[in-house]
Amino acid sequence: MGERLLDYIIAGFWKALEMIFSGDAELWGIVGLSLRVSGSAIVIAALVIIPLFTFIGLKSFRGERILSRVLNALMSMPSVVVGLLVSVCLSRRGPFGHLQLMYTPTAMIIAQVILVSPLIACLTYEMVKHRGRDIQKLGQTLGANKIQSTFMVISELKSELFIYTVNGFSRAISEVGAVMMVGGNIKGDTRVITTTISMLNSMGDYAMAFALGMILIVISLVINSILYTYKEKRADV
Amino acid sequence: MEVRLEQVSKQYGSKQVFASLNEVFESGKITGLVGDNGAGKSTLLRLIAGLDLDYSGHIYYDGKRLSKPLYQQMTMVFQTPYLLKRSVYDNIAYPLQIRHRSAAEIRQKTEAMIARLGIEKLADQYAHKLSGGESQKVALARALIFEPDLVLLDEPMSGIDAASVRFMEEMIQEYVREYHKTVIMITHNARQAQELCDRIVHLHGAAGGK
Repeated sequence: MGERLLDYIIAGFWKALEMIFSGDAELWGIVGLSLRVSGSAIVIAALVIIPLFTFIGLKSFRGERILSRVLNALMSMPSVVVGLLVSVCLSRRGPFGHLQLMYTPTAMIIAQVILVSPLIACLTYEMVKHRGRDIQKLGQTLGANKIQSTFMVISELKSELFIYTVNGFSRAISEVGAVMMVGGNIKGDTRVITTTISMLNSMGDYAMAFALGMILIVISLVINSILYTYKEKRADV
Repeated sequence: MEVRLEQVSKQYGSKQVFASLNEVFESGKITGLVGDNGAGKSTLLRLIAGLDLDYSGHIYYDGKRLSKPLYQQMTMVFQTPYLLKRSVYDNIAYPLQIRHRSAAEIRQKTEAMIARLGIEKLADQYAHKLSGGESQKVALARALIFEPDLVLLDEPMSGIDAASVRFMEEMIQEYVREYHKTVIMITHNARQAQELCDRIVHLHGAAGGK
């Protein structure tokens, strides 16, 4: 029994390699959608969250500690909770039901934006609080106004902010709960790498699951390689 | 720019740094600020620079209170220079760029300043990779390039080589002579205070005021 299962898994593994290198349309369609959804989510989150939390981080105000704690807590928010919230909002009877976004890639992007925003917000806020304020003061002594100072801080901390953004992408593309709930894992429409692996596993169809798993690992390795190279370059600079 | 302090007091929590300070820093003069560690010299410069607004009393700049346009007319160089993660050229040009000066003016003034420093070969290098003395020279050049009316120097010449110190002293003297601007500098160096400064102000901290 055990041997047969092992043979089955090995056969699935070879089939997976064949699918990857033969350019299987369904497989690469799923990969493409995953990259589009997570890529869009991370770009939107970074463009909104980084300037906003740089600006907030440069301000001294009562409740700084509370904000830090809230952001830290939100960072570990379970993805199914995000999925549930977005589902409630986008479902037909929800406040944004009329937009008919449920079970679309847009809904998945919204869920992933909400999922990665606290991570980018928390890391940006803490970094700016600790290092940005001195940079802002330098800007002030050179005559920079508040907007110029804010951009100066972002420019000076761009290496760290880039790393946070890439970490956010890693979290988004490997997440399964929220996109499953709001995307529905519809074939050819909202099926992404993680939801497909989850589905195929429950079906016992390992070939495509292996192929997608390998691609996900390669994506993860590429991301980590980019980060490693970038960190090395920064050490040289 | 004349800077006048009236009954300026500063405390951190329950600790009084200095109290009821009255002083006038004249225009076109280099004033040396001396005193023991903890006397509040750096704190005073930060108050004058408008980096710390939590104090009592009044500070007047040519008879006016601190306002946004005044920030554009003064600068401060710190003991540990912070150079932007850009080239030496871009660091020196930065104050002109944020003032939206013309490209020709930025190029001409920056190149002249780099030539004055004698660091043409380093112009394209990352500024934060420079040695201590070179870093301070670039920080001073960046502070002076937009010809501020008030220059605040928080011991920028401590811990650097003698040649760089002499060079920076000459730069400061030339700047005041040429543009008739105000310089307030903290120094622990008796020779520097005597040779460079037109006037010395002793700060004794909370116990003695000025």
